[in-house]
Amino acid sequence: MNWLKSLVRKDSQEKEFDRELRFHIRELTQKNIDAGMRPGEAHRQAMLEFGGKEQMTERLREVHQIPVVETLAMNLRFAWRLVRKAPLFSLTIILTLALGIGANSAVFSAIDAVLLRSLSFPHGDELVRVQQYTPKEKSPQTFAAPTRLEDWNRMNSTFQAMTGYFVEDDSETSGSLPEKLTHAFVAPRFLQVWGVSPALGRDFTPEEELFGGPNAVLISARLWRRRFGGNPDAVGKALQFGSPIPGHRPSSYTIVGVMSPSFLFPDRDADLWSPSPVNAPYAQNRAVTWYTVIGRLKPGVSIGKAEADLATVQLQLGKQFPKTDAKLAVQLFPLKQTLVGDSQRSLWILFGSVTLLLLIACTNIAALLLARMMDREHEIAVRFSLGASRRNVIGQLLTEVFLLAFLGSLAGLGLAAGAARLFRTFTPNLPRVEEITLDWRIVFYALVSALAVTFLCGMLPALRGTRRGIAGALAKSNKTQVSGRNQVQWALVGVQVALAVTLLIGAGLLQRSLAELARVAPGFDPTHVLTLQISESYGETGDMKALTQRTNRILETLRAVPGVEAASLVSSLPGVPGRQQIEIKIVEGEQDPNRKVIVDSRFVSTGYFAAMHIPVLVGEPCQDSPNATPVTVNRSFANTYFGQGPAIGHHLISTAYSGFPLSGEIRGVVGDAREQGLNSEPMPTVYWCSNVAFPGTYYVVRTRGEPTALADPLRRTIHEIEPSRSVFDVATLQEHLTGSFAEDRLRTILLSLFAITAVSLACLGLYGTLSYFVSIRRREVGLRLALGAMRQHIALRFLLQGLRVSVVGCLFGLALAAASVRLLSGMLYGVSSFDPVTFAGVITLVLVVAVPATLLPAVRAARTDPMHVLRDE
Amino acid sequence: MTPDKKSELLQGTLDMLILKVVALCPIHGYGISQRIRQISKDVLQVQQGSLYPALHRLEKRGWLESAWRESENGRQAKFYKLSAKGRKQLAQEELTWQRLAGAIALILQTSE
Repeated sequence: MNWLKSLVRKDSQEKEFDRELRFHIRELTQKNIDAGMRPGEAHRQAMLEFGGKEQMTERLREVHQIPVVETLAMNLRFAWRLVRKAPLFSLTIILTLALGIGANSAVFSAIDAVLLRSLSFPHGDELVRVQQYTPKEKSPQTFAAPTRLEDWNRMNSTFQAMTGYFVEDDSETSGSLPEKLTHAFVAPRFLQVWGVSPALGRDFTPEEELFGGPNAVLISARLWRRRFGGNPDAVGKALQFGSPIPGHRPSSYTIVGVMSPSFLFPDRDADLWSPSPVNAPYAQNRAVTWYTVIGRLKPGVSIGKAEADLATVQLQLGKQFPKTDAKLAVQLFPLKQTLVGDSQRSLWILFGSVTLLLLIACTNIAALLLARMMDREHEIAVRFSLGASRRNVIGQLLTEVFLLAFLGSLAGLGLAAGAARLFRTFTPNLPRVEEITLDWRIVFYALVSALAVTFLCGMLPALRGTRRGIAGALAKSNKTQVSGRNQVQWALVGVQVALAVTLLIGAGLLQRSLAELARVAPGFDPTHVLTLQISESYGETGDMKALTQRTNRILETLRAVPGVEAASLVSSLPGVPGRQQIEIKIVEGEQDPNRKVIVDSRFVSTGYFAAMHIPVLVGEPCQDSPNATPVTVNRSFANTYFGQGPAIGHHLISTAYSGFPLSGEIRGVVGDAREQGLNSEPMPTVYWCSNVAFPGTYYVVRTRGEPTALADPLRRTIHEIEPSRSVFDVATLQEHLTGSFAEDRLRTILLSLFAITAVSLACLGLYGTLSYFVSIRRREVGLRLALGAMRQHIALRFLLQGLRVSVVGCLFGLALAAASVRLLSGMLYGVSSFDPVTFAGVITLVLVVAVPATLLPAVRAARTDPMHVLRDE
Repeated sequence: MTPDKKSELLQGTLDMLILKVVALCPIHGYGISQRIRQISKDVLQVQQGSLYPALHRLEKRGWLESAWRESENGRQAKFYKLSAKGRKQLAQEELTWQRLAGAIALILQTSE
């Protein structure tokens, strides 16, 4: 790193040159003065004699630069000549590395955008999600009451500001058909917390944030382009919304601004943002929970400190409002963490696999280079005898590898450039996927990879190729005998096999898990079911009676459509992962405070079990009853809490939904269904029967024929009776179920692709290395044959040599896999991490492909013509 | 000083001469050029244009070491001195040179 130091020291170096040369000129001048010249003339003569000082400085500079720039340029020139001399060899390496580095950079670009970079808001690291929860109960309450949010915001000392939001699906009715728009209702200070302003127009005014103030709405860039063609005139225009509830939300909203295209919050579907007045009379109840709360910390404040601060605030509130606030605690999470969520592990596993792949490629290339080094022994010996130092030669050899790696990484960057689109197409639900781009960080990463690859692939061959003495000796002897260095080459092959086995086992486990998942009996019948949502608003829950009537009317209309067998409501789709875990109390029987009854809570309407083909075991589930809410439980619940005794007739109550106490009587028991996700065993479940459609409620319709054929008729029928509502999210239940495992499937496909590539590379390595040894031992083989050795023995010896390495590689691969399958736990369903079928299958597969890879060169060795070889001597 | 009395330095010999002069005592660049001229009785003249690059090259190779010191007339000057590696190098070069010179002399002495 001398050159680096010389770069840093450049300035002081220049000054030193100057001082040294000036001293010389002064001495010359002095000599001239001593010889009797006038001082001016003496200096002029001295300068003349000395020659150009600037030129001299330039030459001194050259002296200090030469070793770096010139050697590098020379090495590169020579390396380029070698590339052109062996184009096929070079192209193989470049392409292998292009794939290896490209795939690696592509996944890294996703990791960088999704996990590493801070959120794209100004000072994104200051943003946190604030959750309130009840430590005593298991049920998390993620939402906060408006008044409590205002208290937190006022009383804390660690936040710049706090805000909150909730989302509804709204129907915009100024077009010919109602259009469903995702409408976020936001607490004050919303844009202030994000640190952004509208791209066009303005933020809300204080009057607009008050109850009864003018209705204002900010629209997304997407909606702006779609509806207004990107015309700035949109600001000031009005949007009309359906289902107006008197006194709650008037229907006309004035557009006050347009957000920038990169503002995708709460999610990428958000179209509208309106103020939600915190001083509204209906917002004063401390028990209602509306808001998902976001806060911006003051600069330099840690999450822990803010959490402690907010805990103190909540403690004060608990004293002030013991009834509603005493039991609550607060929790803070970095907003990035809550946004990125589960994708983190998938991405790292993906990154691990592409890195393994790159390592295999490197090992493969190292073996290739090592073999080639033997051919170059003569050249290297010549270099040594011409006075090159070992360092020079190693530098030259590494430069050659670097040139290949550099070209490979350039090609790989091309691959990574397409990755952003690939991710957007195949993982549209990946959080922050729109932020994946190819920028200088990825370019830098690819170049660093090239450098790392250079050392990984090049160092071992360079070190071994330049061992003095051996180089000379071997130049003569490699034709007749094989030195101990083939141990290294075989070790490299073994490493490839081991890494490939690791990837194969990972891929195999995921595939087995998917297969198990497909075989699962869900307990309900997902075929012939169409699902849809109809826009609703929370405001409508003010008049439950009207809401129930309206919901019933819609359900009856749906059931009357020809081709419909059954229709019902459900709060969340069966089999799509998700649960609403709450604590309930069973009124009858002894109350054991230590035994908590935790259930998955679902709201369904009359006819749900018939529509989903969930068998009714006892009783009559969900018959409309005007007095109490009928409750149905599943078999797990009945068995867990009532054992052999009857479940019917017991009463359940729950206060988990604050401000919305639930109570009901068990009227029926149904069979266990995998409601919470096909990959999880059914848990004790309580179905509260209620014919009320909240925002987010699904309508499930069982059809006689192809469900998608009914999509349009159903849509039109609903429009006839509910012209101001939009129908959206129309899809079959099967599509939802498939969609919920899209990420698992993609992960499996990618890992399988990598594993197949890895095995192919390992086989190539095995084949190449064995072929090479066969070729250099041609003479020995010829001699043996001439002396009467059997051809089968020759072939067998090579075959065994290759297979021995494969088996040892497999064993190491198994150990490596056993150590790393832990990473997959939680992603597997129905198979253990040490699934013997997978392990045995992988070993068989590897050996099956290793046999032809070793057999070909072995047979070629046995076919050697002894006369031919001996004549060559 | 007539042109015919000046001699061009043979390729590669400048380094050896510098090492030799520096071996006598630590000395600055100006001193080296004066010393070579004196000792060779004005036959050899070192061009400053080749002297300084040579000095820096030798120092970079580790044959010379340098330090800033006060010169005989009180000014700060960069003094060069021979390193242990340089001493070895000088001995080797002297040997090579003597062998070469001897060989050339032998050839020249051969009568036709």
